[in-house]
Amino acid sequence: MKMPLVYNEKPEHLFPMGSETLPKQFIFNEKMDKETLYSLYTDDFGYIEEIFATTLQHFEADFSAVQLAYENGNLDDLKRAVHKIKPTFGYTGLLEAQSLCKNFEDQCVNAASIADVSNEYVHIKNVLLEARDIIDHEYTRLKAFNANPL
Amino acid sequence: MSLTCIIVEDLQVAADYLSRCCEKSGQLSVKGHFAAVPEALEFLNNNVVDLIFLDVEMPGATGFDLLDQIAYSPKVILTTSKPEYAFDAFEYNVTDFLKKPFTYQRFLDALKKIPPATAEVADNTITETGVDHIFIKSDGKLIRLNNEDILYIESMGDYVKFVTGEKKYITHNTIKNLEEKVSKQSFIKVHRSYIINIDKISNIRENGLFISGKEIPISKAHKQEVLKRLNII
Repeated sequence: MKMPLVYNEKPEHLFPMGSETLPKQFIFNEKMDKETLYSLYTDDFGYIEEIFATTLQHFEADFSAVQLAYENGNLDDLKRAVHKIKPTFGYTGLLEAQSLCKNFEDQCVNAASIADVSNEYVHIKNVLLEARDIIDHEYTRLKAFNANPL
Repeated sequence: MSLTCIIVEDLQVAADYLSRCCEKSGQLSVKGHFAAVPEALEFLNNNVVDLIFLDVEMPGATGFDLLDQIAYSPKVILTTSKPEYAFDAFEYNVTDFLKKPFTYQRFLDALKKIPPATAEVADNTITETGVDHIFIKSDGKLIRLNNEDILYIESMGDYVKFVTGEKKYITHNTIKNLEEKVSKQSFIKVHRSYIINIDKISNIRENGLFISGKEIPISKAHKQEVLKRLNII
């Protein structure tokens, strides 16, 4: 069984050195699938910035719903909360996070109680937090890029 | 083609993206975004739209619950991240199924599947009136409504809503046209937007009357005629 990855702090290692310098063509974090982003938004970086901003504005509420459902031991609500947040990662190019949410959703469907998914929950929680940090970081970079693209 | 639509979607970023696609297409006017089914239902009970972009899993109720409860049949494009709903989508005769996130081109392809609005209009006109009943075309069916079952008829722009004790039916017509067609024994126009069943009035106040708890305005122009028709002692 794949051991869950645990990130206890902001995953600075995900942002390679030098990525803070602004290139003329914006280079997304390697965890973001640029093909997906371009297929959705072409090279409209202003729009991508808006998408990231909207995602971040609503992330905490959606993430809290996941946490609350788990803390209340409500498997159905947990599945629903993860189902709701899942497409967020499709819109932000974080396809692995989206796929992991899908797996977790399936695990919830097959579980008899919340205890059956406790290990997987720790993993998915960290996936969500990591994804949020990546979006947050890319949003900041993109905002700077859009303010001065040349 | 210019269609009206609403977006029923609980994920804000998905709703924003969809709204942008609608705007970019130049073919759709978004009349509202609702994050839950009850709010969308309330809107749809008072407004007619050509198309609903409908998420399936939402808090409290599903998109299919909404389809079970609306009184007419706008075109529906399901937007979900679960392809498992494709079979249900087929059962509900939805126009298309968009898996989130979808590209703008895929969105345009879905729009192409919507038949021209004029076909719907022709299908929804009133067809026949009788002494004690009326036939309307709604949802592609001929539905007989007995006069005694109709509480009132309300204008909704180019559409009207027939309200019975049990259900609401929305059909393409106007109050002006219906005024000529419904039984004058049972019905009376009380306002430019309302024709009421005179036997269903529970009480009348200065500028309005009540039918089954609903307050309906009486316009000055119609007030005398309404009072004349009542059995006042």
